[in-house]
Amino acid sequence: MMQGVQSMFKIPELKQRIIFTLLILIVYRIGGHMPIPGINSAALLDFFSEAQGGGLLGLYDLFAGGAFRRATVFALGIMPYISASIIIQLLGAVVPYFQKLQKEGEEGRKKITQYTRYGTVFISAMQAYGVSIFLESIRTNAGLSVVPDAGWGFRLLTMITLGAGTILIMWLGEQITERGIGNGISLIIFIGIIATFPNAVLDEYQQISGGNRAILTEVFLLGVMVVTIAGVVALTQGTRKIPVQYAKRVVGRKVYGGQSTHIPLRVNTAGVMPIIFAQSIMFVPQTVVTFFPNSEFMNSLTRYFDVQSAVYWFIFGMLIIFFTYFYTAIAFNPVDVADNMKKHGGFIPGVRPGKRTAEFIDNILTRITLPGSICLAFVAILPFIISRFVNVSYNFASFYGGTSLLIIVGVGLDTLQQLESHLLMRHYDGFMQGSGRVKGRRRF
Amino acid sequence: MSWEKFVSAIKRQHSRCNGSLIEYDLTPYVEILHEIKTVQKTFKNKSDLQLREISKQNIQLVRQSGLSETHLIEAFALVSEGIWRVLKLKAFDVQIMAAVALHREKIVEMQTGEGKTLTAVFPAYLNALTGNGVHVLTFNDYLACRDAGWMGPVYTFLGLSFGCVREGMTTRERQKMYRADITYLTAKEAGFDALRDGLCTQISQQVVQRPRHFAIVDEADSILIDEARIPLVIAATGDEPIPDTYRTAELVHNLKSGVDFEFDDYARDIDLTETGVKNIESALRCGNLYAYENIETLTQINCALHAEHLLQLDVDYIVRAGEIELVDEFTGRVAEKRRWPDGLQAALEAKEKLTIRKQGHILNSITLQHFIQFYPKLSGMTATAVSAEAEFRNFYDLGIAVIPPNRPCIRIDHEDMIFKTKAEKERALTDEIAMIHESGRPVLVGTASVEESANLTKSLLDRGLKCEVLNAKNDAREAEIISRAGRLGAITISTNMAGRGTDICLGTDSKSERKRILDLDGLYVIGTNKHESRRIDQQLRGRSGRQGDPGSSRFFISLEDDLFIKYKLSELLPKAFAENNADGEIDSHILRNEINRTQRIVEGQNLEIKKTLCRYSSLLEKQRIIVFEKRNRALQDELAVDLFRGLAPEKFKLYQGQIGAKNLKDRCKKIFLAILDKAWATYLAEIAEIREGIHLHRLGGQVPFFEFQKVAVQRFDKLLETLGEDALTIFNNFEAEGDKLNAPSATWTYLVNDNPFENMLGFLQPGNTKINIDPVTGLFILAILLLNKIGKNKKS
Repeated sequence: MMQGVQSMFKIPELKQRIIFTLLILIVYRIGGHMPIPGINSAALLDFFSEAQGGGLLGLYDLFAGGAFRRATVFALGIMPYISASIIIQLLGAVVPYFQKLQKEGEEGRKKITQYTRYGTVFISAMQAYGVSIFLESIRTNAGLSVVPDAGWGFRLLTMITLGAGTILIMWLGEQITERGIGNGISLIIFIGIIATFPNAVLDEYQQISGGNRAILTEVFLLGVMVVTIAGVVALTQGTRKIPVQYAKRVVGRKVYGGQSTHIPLRVNTAGVMPIIFAQSIMFVPQTVVTFFPNSEFMNSLTRYFDVQSAVYWFIFGMLIIFFTYFYTAIAFNPVDVADNMKKHGGFIPGVRPGKRTAEFIDNILTRITLPGSICLAFVAILPFIISRFVNVSYNFASFYGGTSLLIIVGVGLDTLQQLESHLLMRHYDGFMQGSGRVKGRRRF
Repeated sequence: MSWEKFVSAIKRQHSRCNGSLIEYDLTPYVEILHEIKTVQKTFKNKSDLQLREISKQNIQLVRQSGLSETHLIEAFALVSEGIWRVLKLKAFDVQIMAAVALHREKIVEMQTGEGKTLTAVFPAYLNALTGNGVHVLTFNDYLACRDAGWMGPVYTFLGLSFGCVREGMTTRERQKMYRADITYLTAKEAGFDALRDGLCTQISQQVVQRPRHFAIVDEADSILIDEARIPLVIAATGDEPIPDTYRTAELVHNLKSGVDFEFDDYARDIDLTETGVKNIESALRCGNLYAYENIETLTQINCALHAEHLLQLDVDYIVRAGEIELVDEFTGRVAEKRRWPDGLQAALEAKEKLTIRKQGHILNSITLQHFIQFYPKLSGMTATAVSAEAEFRNFYDLGIAVIPPNRPCIRIDHEDMIFKTKAEKERALTDEIAMIHESGRPVLVGTASVEESANLTKSLLDRGLKCEVLNAKNDAREAEIISRAGRLGAITISTNMAGRGTDICLGTDSKSERKRILDLDGLYVIGTNKHESRRIDQQLRGRSGRQGDPGSSRFFISLEDDLFIKYKLSELLPKAFAENNADGEIDSHILRNEINRTQRIVEGQNLEIKKTLCRYSSLLEKQRIIVFEKRNRALQDELAVDLFRGLAPEKFKLYQGQIGAKNLKDRCKKIFLAILDKAWATYLAEIAEIREGIHLHRLGGQVPFFEFQKVAVQRFDKLLETLGEDALTIFNNFEAEGDKLNAPSATWTYLVNDNPFENMLGFLQPGNTKINIDPVTGLFILAILLLNKIGKNKKS
């Protein structure tokens, strides 16, 4: 491990990339502490400390790395950009114009990037408007207004600052992707989540030093966290390899260790999407309830749709299992895969290509997705369980699972892999110095 | 700063912002040009001998102190004066400017007929002053020898030697040619020689014998881009039995389309159906065809199917003197020494009932692109550089300089004539040819294949119109046909062959004929198809309007053309056209835009594929250099001897006593080189196999390239590790195993099969846990997915 780190810094280009990435991330964190103009920060902080935890606000805050809580210029985070790019990608599947663009190579990609950026501006402007309305509406318990001068001036200013903030984050992310290590956009989400960790740890420390929690409980809690992280790593990486043979062009060659030619079927093909969908669905009743504050029926409903209730857990879990299958069917189409393999002359030994192969893959996928989906549901519910039975802060509990932990693990593994790839690319540089009969051109 | 300079500075800045490296601004070149001309004036009064003396001084100076910018002006002035005295040709200003750009490692865009051959002399002379040898890589063997013979006297006049390498030369002849200061040859020949050198067991057998230095590539876009992916392969004739492909061919021949197999001609796919599989299984009595043990049979059947139905006689290949000859898609010429991968070639020979030739095993291969990159300095010329700008930048890090023609091109490029059906197109085409021919104006028609050219000729003959045909089948008469193509009343039907490297002069020696043709607006070029690459279309148009002559060009296309069916253009068309039943020409701007767009899309996709391929092969190239260096050290130094002395000291001493030190050294070398070559060949095959299925990793949300890297590095490290052991085994049992080490020789080239990757899914790829979406957008996405899913279900 240490050797790996050492060799990383021995390669000048890699060193440069890592330092560049860190610098950009620092810039991102600094922006996450700059409040937007026209608000009373002290009042806002008061409000948030009074209204502890979850809900939509908490969720948004989590994505933005606490930037929301402080109403900073980066309050919207990178999400408008992600939303815009996913919507454009989906349009690619539905609208022929976008379909053509996607196929057009570099030219088309430039245009798609452009549209995604326009989309980002639009979405962030809409969201910023919502934020400004929300900020204008809130009062602290002392009756202090967060926005001293409410009105269109403030709203416009907020739309411009928050919109610009999101665009700047997007640019920072692109810079990392281009000149740093890993995927910049993912890393920015990653840092946003990780950034709350020191605070969460501080909370825990205060709990212990305040005598509210036994050391043993804390050790147990940390133990559970380690096990959960290991479990999530396994869930993220778990694959079943289906061997594939090619028989198209060349006859009479040896068959070389075919293990690298396989389809790696994921235990969790759907990734984090099922949790996101389930959250979205569960969010609907929560929102509807707020519109009828006086209805008796609605209030009883609220009890069930509270994250502390077992009913909520059950429904949430079932939704996740359902959406895992739903989304797996979208992300992985065995018929397409079988067709594609057939086109290139590939087949699974012993299985006929086409329909049989599709069925074969589908069968395996269905079987391995079941444990995958149950694990995913469990990982999503775990933070709620922890925060209910052990009185920990919402911030700390979110590291026990849910989207946060999946993202941390996913981005972490991904970045490590990119680092490894950079190392491998330079694996031979040492060998090639010296006897210079072959001196290639700059690009190799 | 003058206004023009300011504007050009802005323009430069602008193109830099766009990430492109195209130079339209020639101001820096103009300044040098004036200096060169001033110096040349001072040479006018000097005698030939004095000039040669100056040249000799230059050589000495450069060899002492290295090449610098100051040498350029005098050297170019010398060359310009030399060309005038020897060839009685005056180098145009634009040629000298182009020459400067060539020296500065640019791809130079010059129109046809502007004298590229002459231009290359300047940088070739200048860079040869260093004594390191300059290679001028020409488009074909014929041009290599023609250009060398034509320009050679200039080099001799200036005290440098020249040579040209062509196919079929012996090792000794080649060595002599490579020793010359300037060598004309084709890129392929140069690449093959590099591969051959890489298999020599003695230094004296090597033909090139010095590091590569500078290459000037003629028709750069063709060589560096279109042909760049084709690997040059060196193979040895193997002892493997010749497979009985006749039997499979017959079996496949009897299968019925639509019943036993389905095929999509345009996507170049062919698959057996369930019925087909069952029929084959019962005919061969082999059990499950897809079982592990039947893989060879299955491969043979796949090859036979491909050969039978996807490769067409007179389109993809021709049969001449009992041999299959491949027709190159881009140039329309017979691709010399090129074969399809073994299985397919054998299947094709069985289909055409020819003798099946022995198959070989690949010893080494390199793509033209990677070979060219061995030259530390590189530049090129072509008439169509700008539209390939992205490729030159991406793959070679080369910029482009656009040199205006000496006299402006006044050719008129008419808008495309678009027809709904092929039949309508053909009718209009023959009408047009007949009409133009009446006036006596020469016509050149560019078709897509040998077959099409033959069909068009026939229908013209039916109308009583006499015409010449130029295609891969009668390429021997190329020079003769081209020399007549610009004459009064000529009709020439050609394939892509006439698209590049041919210079059609208007009229013959008689001035009155030329004048009459000029009055008729020069050569009329008609294209009957649009090619996947716009460059090929431009090349065809470029046959007309040479050196400021008048001329015009027009494309006749139909919506049934291969390009549009292959890329399903008709689906993308506005409904009004699809349902339009009216006969005749369709005149629509929307349609024209769509057609241009289709070409752009195809070009974009091809670039994407090339980029992916390049990324994969760059790792392999690094490994190749390691092997290459190891090999060289074994060849030139004591690497092999030291190795065996260290590994098996006792045996070493024993052998030394038996056969003497010198013989033992040779034996060590021989063993080590043979083992290394074999290991590398095996490794290449292994990697090719892994590469074929690596895209499947995308299905697990993994990055295929990362997986490829891991495996390739692992296997290669293992290769290096086991090298010593394997060599030692042979060394220890030399008496028994030594005769297995025979150096083979025989070369062919192959076409590659590339696996285009599926659409990248981006955020939505399988197993992605790296995104987060707010609930509102989440609901929105869910809604889109549900709607789309429902829509799909309804359709099916």
